Amino acid sequence: MSIVATEQNQSAIDRLSKQFDDLVGSKSDGQESSWIQSRRQAMQAFIQAGFPKKRSESYKYTPVSKWIEKHSHFANEAPSSLFAQSGPLPPLSAPDSKGKSGDSQSAGNRATKAASTSWKSKSGVEIHTQDGHISGSVVGNVPTGLTVCSLKEASLKHPQLFSAYLSKAVVLDRDPFAALATAFAEDGLFIHASESVVTDEVISIHHDGLRSESFVQPRVLIVAEKGASIQVVEHFPHLNAGRTFENRVAEIFVAAEARIDHVLMVERAEEALFVNSLFVYQGEKSYFRTNTITLGGGLVRHNLNFLPNAEECETHLHGLYVAKGYAHVDNHTLVDHAKPNCFSNEMFKGIVTDQATGVFNGKVLVRQDAQKTNAYQSSKCIVLDRGARTYAKPELEIYADDVKCSHGATTGELDEDAIFYLRARGISKDAAKMLLLEAFARDVVDLIAAEGVRNYLYDRLHHLLSVTK
Amino acid sequence: MLEIQNLHVSIEEDGTEILKGLNLKVGKGEVHAIMGPNGSGKSTLASVLAGKDGYEITAGSVIFDGADLLEMEADLRAREGLFLAFQYPIELPGVSMANFLKQAVTSVREHQGKETLSAGDLLKLMKEKAALVHLDPSLKSRSVNEGFSGGEKKRNEIFQLAMLDPKFAILDETDSGLDIDALRIVADGVNSLRSPSRSFLVITHYQRLLDYIVPDFVHVLMNGRIVMTGGKELALELEEKGYDWIKDETALLA
Repeated sequence: MSIVATEQNQSAIDRLSKQFDDLVGSKSDGQESSWIQSRRQAMQAFIQAGFPKKRSESYKYTPVSKWIEKHSHFANEAPSSLFAQSGPLPPLSAPDSKGKSGDSQSAGNRATKAASTSWKSKSGVEIHTQDGHISGSVVGNVPTGLTVCSLKEASLKHPQLFSAYLSKAVVLDRDPFAALATAFAEDGLFIHASESVVTDEVISIHHDGLRSESFVQPRVLIVAEKGASIQVVEHFPHLNAGRTFENRVAEIFVAAEARIDHVLMVERAEEALFVNSLFVYQGEKSYFRTNTITLGGGLVRHNLNFLPNAEECETHLHGLYVAKGYAHVDNHTLVDHAKPNCFSNEMFKGIVTDQATGVFNGKVLVRQDAQKTNAYQSSKCIVLDRGARTYAKPELEIYADDVKCSHGATTGELDEDAIFYLRARGISKDAAKMLLLEAFARDVVDLIAAEGVRNYLYDRLHHLLSVTK
Repeated sequence: MLEIQNLHVSIEEDGTEILKGLNLKVGKGEVHAIMGPNGSGKSTLASVLAGKDGYEITAGSVIFDGADLLEMEADLRAREGLFLAFQYPIELPGVSMANFLKQAVTSVREHQGKETLSAGDLLKLMKEKAALVHLDPSLKSRSVNEGFSGGEKKRNEIFQLAMLDPKFAILDETDSGLDIDALRIVADGVNSLRSPSRSFLVITHYQRLLDYIVPDFVHVLMNGRIVMTGGKELALELEEKGYDWIKDETALLA
């Protein structure tokens, strides 16, 4: 079976390679932009690495080849439709779409969104995307000094900024998916806060347009210049779009004394394959916080890479996942401390039930120069069902001798004594479990700054966990 | 109110028999104390009455207010008006006292056909009952028992007792770990909750608590059975002589 999978993966790689050539030309004409050049490099890196093999250490617990096979229709998509601009799109030829082709004749084939799967922010800046690219206009008052536009627009209007940052944080050999997304992304999102721009207005990105059975590889670039401070919330709501494959790469730059508060919420459908590669680069005395929340999706893999590459950086890395049904959620993190006097705190929490799987792999690397590093990591997982699985692999690699580092990983069931205590007060068994699970999960949500997002997540968690049992 | 007959209980895991034919009858409004040496089965009795898992009832019956207590799930027992003040109250990080009490009070009152309290009335009740055991009303926003001192935890148990207004309350070594001032506060709280319609079963290791919560009856539990019953003066006698003389006496009887 694995041989078949490998062959299929190889043919997928060949098809992708051909698609890439069709897109950008098989050979450089010597006049190419740096963007195209970096895409070529990325494609080379991808072809060399291929999709992660079954024996690949960093995908040991995540059967990605099985999913690639399941989603193999993706590589059949014609490039023209693959990377089409926003707006209604023609139906696609999906070879085994389980007789769903009838639907695909309908207007634009834009996925429908279930009610109550989004939140409304009172103010702030709002963006919607279609297949990962900005659709419609930016809503709300964009503060002076803040730029929100497509990457293409940025490359034309702000060429210096654009070339100063694009592809500077992504590490191509870190993960083949990141390389693939870097190669294919024709467009994406650009958010830039100029020096000393401080705003409390939340920049909300609603990734709520996705064609059925589509394969999209969008790209995100977020920059906060010196002393700037912004909040960015990205939401991937549940969509009835079948076997979608989203492979995105995001680069975030937090310059000296700047601050970025980032939230990412994934609630995609159970057939969706979702890979998110994040690269965060920090300057001196900067602050970065991310909350990576996964409440839906079939196979979700987060590659979260942090490079606090200057002194006195503060990095907070929080995550929460609830995996149900046959879902597989994998958080793969790397905090690479290269400079002294930095602080990082990592906390992941998971609830896994039914036949679902939760994976946490967290590496903290403290390089020789990074004296006086304080790095903390914790991973806690609650397993509610015998059929559910979890894997936790914390890794500390320390080359400096004057540091404070700790990690802890726990996996267990709900505390029976706590359930009994609640029941002894008249609370039913189900309500008691619910109360404990919500308390466990809220811990992470409480750390999100935007109140509207917090409340939205409390509601979603309540709903998700009450149908859990 | 509560009638235990010939109760035999083993630990499910290894089959060790802890209670070996225990008989006890507690009338309405009465306060009974159960004393006994370590390992005599006091806490097992409290746990079994409250419905904790992990025990096997091999024989006997417990009738609570006319109903078969052992047939009820733990939460139903609480809703029917049985309350256990835990020897070791559990910390529930992330579960606020306010939310916890709201759910507990609501489910108990609903079951008993009482009207649901409004948020305002519930807060008022919390304030009033917290004052009984000198708890700071700001505790409502704290997580249940998390970061509470030993004394606060015990006072919190009595506070919950007051909130849930049970017919029958079991205090499992509520005095353990308390200094004399905290003991007095807890005892005053309990005394203020004594009423002709509420019975208490006070489980304790030492006589000290009974100076403050004066019982109607004192029972001595040894080796899984009530071996002696008397009035409040029995507690004093035990304090003075220890448990050995009872061991000798009951050995003679046997």
